[in-house]
Amino acid sequence: MDGGSILETIGVEIIGVMSPVSICMFLVVLIVYTLSSPSSSDNQQVIRTAANLIYLESSSDTTAQKLEGALLNAVVFVVLITLVTFLLVILYYYRFTNFLKYYIRFSAFFVLGSMGGSIILTLIQHFNIPIDSITFCLLLFNFTILGVISVFSQGVPILLNQMYMVALGIIVAAWFTKLPEWTTWVVLVALALYDLVAVLAPGGPLKMLVELASSRDEELPALVYEARPNVSSRSGSRGPNLGLLLAGFSDGDPIELRVMSSSENVVQNGRVVSEMRSESEEIDDVREVEIEGEMLPLMGSSSSNNERERPVVNEDIRESNESDRARVLEREIEEEEERGRGIKLGLGDFVFYSVLVGRAAMYDLMTVYACYLAIISGLGCTLILLAVCRHALPALPISIALGVIFYFLTRLLMEPFVVGTSTNLLMF
Amino acid sequence: MEAAPSNPTHNIISTAPSSVATHRNPLRVDWPTVDGPLGLSEQESVDHARRFFKFGFLLLPWLWAVNCLYFWPVLRRPSSYYHPDLRRYVVRSAIGFTVFAVILSSWALTFSVGGEHLFGHVWDKLVMYNVAEKYGLTGWI
Repeated sequence: MDGGSILETIGVEIIGVMSPVSICMFLVVLIVYTLSSPSSSDNQQVIRTAANLIYLESSSDTTAQKLEGALLNAVVFVVLITLVTFLLVILYYYRFTNFLKYYIRFSAFFVLGSMGGSIILTLIQHFNIPIDSITFCLLLFNFTILGVISVFSQGVPILLNQMYMVALGIIVAAWFTKLPEWTTWVVLVALALYDLVAVLAPGGPLKMLVELASSRDEELPALVYEARPNVSSRSGSRGPNLGLLLAGFSDGDPIELRVMSSSENVVQNGRVVSEMRSESEEIDDVREVEIEGEMLPLMGSSSSNNERERPVVNEDIRESNESDRARVLEREIEEEEERGRGIKLGLGDFVFYSVLVGRAAMYDLMTVYACYLAIISGLGCTLILLAVCRHALPALPISIALGVIFYFLTRLLMEPFVVGTSTNLLMF
Repeated sequence: MEAAPSNPTHNIISTAPSSVATHRNPLRVDWPTVDGPLGLSEQESVDHARRFFKFGFLLLPWLWAVNCLYFWPVLRRPSSYYHPDLRRYVVRSAIGFTVFAVILSSWALTFSVGGEHLFGHVWDKLVMYNVAEKYGLTGWI
């Protein structure tokens, strides 16, 4: 009942979320690492986006200038995002759901078609792949349209939907890595803080959105990665859902305890069983009966009679335990189905994890490893918190905080140390 | 992928598809889609397969491929197992995608392997990185 069973219960879910995140980050790192040549980083032209409206960073500026500009950029970006999120909540509140869906489909079309196409073209150019334009256009067209279809449709394989979500995350993250360095870091931290507020604060837009969607029993009108729900046809009783984790823990212990103690009872009485059945609404009630049953031998009765009765009684108790457990589980599963199917992770989390790792990849591979491990452990912490809190949680803050801390620690402390020791032949 | 219909109950179910399609039993093992109980029911999937098959003709052969992958159990099992229309659309999608894939890949292979020897200066105009260069399509990096 310890350690191993947490991983057994929660492990499938954790892997179901972590593997797409890992794939996304890995591919972003691969793209960034292959395409960003060190020579182009200096004289590359910075494009003006929503994330650097105020200040365009150039390498000749002083640190104070860069920091100030980056802070201004981050503030503007977060304000813009807040406004857009509130707009989304308002539209959703007044039931413009179809408009939202079409807008998201359009943006998926745009992202896949133009931004994704541009990245693919860059890859083609980089590797000199001799593909003709007709084939390319046909394949890109198919890719884009299929992506648009798979975003909100029920009738595509879940795997395809997940693949397109990861692809969208990769494309957007690859574009975000074009932001100048200081702006990237400040924007990441600002977004983590924004996420914290927007999901947890009472009037936060994301919290309102989630509550609205759950009160209407609808899907969230946003791009959300959904882990494959576990409807296991093999073992119905063991629903390895995160919500069920708690149920398994709070209910499992007393039941085991009860079964064991009742089998240890030397004498039992039929009356107890009947009482137990009537009172077995709550576990605490049952426990009281249990105590009563344990006290009964002291009152004394004919032993031969009880010896004969005991196995039957035990079986009865077990049966009632089983039904009790089944009932509790059923209730939990119902709640679970009300709450939603699998674990959901917003696409923004994908994007900004990958942006962090991609930005780290522009420095060195060592920072990439550190950031990857930090982000994944942060995600694991968030998932465990999710099992405890059982409501929507921001996925960015812990991971981004750990990732940023580990990036700078690695860059400022570990790298000089490791490089110094290895160049002086002290290590390796 | 469920097991092949060696179980006698499967055969009983397959002989009466209409009665099966009406009630959704989660323990049923012959869902038409690869997602099992999370996917579409049999009645919905006929419409769905038809729509995907038709839209595939708008130069969208990947829809045919998705159709085949999504209704993989339909493709695998004998034709009497599911709704006959469903099977027909899925098989046609499979044929369509195969034809498209053969034609396109042979063209692309000819283009890339034959190169300039085969096509002359037209190749330079058609190859994608030159086209992208010409129209400035590579905005990224």
